[in-house]
Amino acid sequence: MHCAMFRQAQTAMQLQRLIVGASVIVFSNMISAAPSAQAILAASDAIRNPGKPFGLTVTLVEYRNGKQAGSNTLNVYSKADTNSGQFRSLIRFVAPARDAGKLMLKSGNDLWFFDPASKASIRLSPQQRLLGQAANGDVVTVNLAKDYHAQLLGEEAIADGDRQMRRCYRLALTRAAADVTYDHIDMWIDVTNNRPVKGRFYTESGQLLKTAYYRRFQSQLSVERPTETVIIDGLDSNWVTVMRYSDYAWRDVPEAWFQRDYLPRFRPE
Amino acid sequence: MRTLALGLIVAATPVLALDEDAAALSLADQTAAKPEKSKDWRVFAEAAVRQSTHQGAGAPQHGERLSLDVRYDGSFAAGWRAVFADRLDMNRLGDVAGNTHVNTLKEAYLSWQATPDRAADLGRINARYGVAMGYNPTDYFRAGALRSIVSLDPASLRENRLGSVMLRGQKLWDGGSASVLYSPKLADRPSAGDYSIDLGATNRRERWLAAFSQKLSEQISPQFLLSGGSGQSAQLGFNLALLLNNATVAFAEWTGGRAASLLAQALARPDDAAFRSRLATGFTYTTESNLSLTLEYEYNGTGLDRDGWNELRQGSPASYRVYRSFAAKQQEPVTRENLFFHATWTDAMVRHLDLTAMVRYNVADHSRLHWVEARYHWRRVDLALQAQRNDGHPSSDFGALPERRIVQAVLRYFF
Repeated sequence: MHCAMFRQAQTAMQLQRLIVGASVIVFSNMISAAPSAQAILAASDAIRNPGKPFGLTVTLVEYRNGKQAGSNTLNVYSKADTNSGQFRSLIRFVAPARDAGKLMLKSGNDLWFFDPASKASIRLSPQQRLLGQAANGDVVTVNLAKDYHAQLLGEEAIADGDRQMRRCYRLALTRAAADVTYDHIDMWIDVTNNRPVKGRFYTESGQLLKTAYYRRFQSQLSVERPTETVIIDGLDSNWVTVMRYSDYAWRDVPEAWFQRDYLPRFRPE
Repeated sequence: MRTLALGLIVAATPVLALDEDAAALSLADQTAAKPEKSKDWRVFAEAAVRQSTHQGAGAPQHGERLSLDVRYDGSFAAGWRAVFADRLDMNRLGDVAGNTHVNTLKEAYLSWQATPDRAADLGRINARYGVAMGYNPTDYFRAGALRSIVSLDPASLRENRLGSVMLRGQKLWDGGSASVLYSPKLADRPSAGDYSIDLGATNRRERWLAAFSQKLSEQISPQFLLSGGSGQSAQLGFNLALLLNNATVAFAEWTGGRAASLLAQALARPDDAAFRSRLATGFTYTTESNLSLTLEYEYNGTGLDRDGWNELRQGSPASYRVYRSFAAKQQEPVTRENLFFHATWTDAMVRHLDLTAMVRYNVADHSRLHWVEARYHWRRVDLALQAQRNDGHPSSDFGALPERRIVQAVLRYFF
């Protein structure tokens, strides 16, 4: 009797070990299959940013206290730097009329502004803003995974840019370099397709600078990309900027164009 | 109770933020703006009324100005581009009968970009070099280029001037470029004709320039220049702008070479050529509220030192006037050292309101020029109020300017 009970107990223990062992294997496989926070961020970057040099038109519409307060149209050419992986951009102001023809170059923190009327080439600091609420870095393409360390805080359902509940990875991004626009960022990325959904951008002291929603996903250059970013000011939620992207096209942008001396010659197609 | 209230506030904050986000997104839903298409033309008309008070006694003088400014920059074939920029100023002074017209043909040239890294330009070109704001010693083509001065704002002086007729070639590579240009002699003397293209103002002698830029690191991308021409020794030049931190850019602009003093050139005195330097260096700091402050030190090695300046002021009035006039045409400071301060605040507390202030200070005679502007802009209209005040001894750099105070209102309409 005892012997039978012992055998039964031994068999049960073996079964339990087997189940536990199998569970550990399955779980560890699950863990190894889960993407890293940095990979999620990189996948999200790839949705926002085409993988080859490209051009597009950015239209910024700014609202103050519920009323349209201004708008700008820009032509932008972007290309990733082969060394840093970060994008460099050439920007030509199209509208309003007073700014038409002005140009900007952004290559990392190498930021130049050129006015064809006065022929003045002026080096800008990142803190100098030319476009109201939007930082100069906001209007150009940025690979966040190159500039920030990402940490996965978990998954949660949040309201997206269309006020629909969406299950997202919540990532905490801390800057990897000193010369970035924002000290740290909270980023929400769709768990099903790595689409960027929402970002909250902070200063070093923890003050919320702005909240961004990525929306109006459309097929552009073979990928479903957000064609609109809504930026809400961190201190004044009645200050809203809508950035709309259109006219996506692959563009051959020679390396030699990303310098101050080329700015006077830059003319987007 | 207080803790409970605080707890409720903290708990409610994310909900409030989400409500605010939802309201902002609803507002964004209404955006119907379509991207505007790039235009080849930029045309604006400007009307100005001014009141000035002369140095010493006298009633204030009134004046009006109407200006038309046209700029065309278009491509007419693959790789080809045409640029044309012209400005007409029609001025009327209160106590003077009739109008005076001054037309400034700023640019008219063709550009051919044979390959993405090679380009050539031919025609009248406003070729401008330099990274400083108040004084640009390496802006070699500024001499004689001012035909109609509507404001002492440095940006206006750079914009409203004559280009020089030249042939220019440029080669670009990853991180650098080289340019050479040749500007021939085309006329003997400037023209005062209202609608003259005034080649004598800019092409009175043969000139050439070579420029070379190379990026040395992410931070450092200097530009080297060599300029020369008939009747002058070659001048070396150097430009550098450095990012010191997230908010500060430092800049330095230098030129040097054998040159006669400004006084010898102005008064046709015996050649006193020696190695002379000219320099402008400073920094621009931008606050979080987008207020940019620039402080610049200016050194003109061809200008008079304090003793020389005092001697000239106390000497022959004719020599003094000729010297001042010559320096103004060359756009050179009359004395060795000057300080320049510039502040510009875009969206100054009110969206679309830009405030600008400028002070020029002559270190030798302590005279000062103050200039302020408040500019509000709508989509197609700019309204600017400008005020200028010149302080100093009647024979000092700024105290000798004919007007002591100027107040001007400017309305600009973009077509």
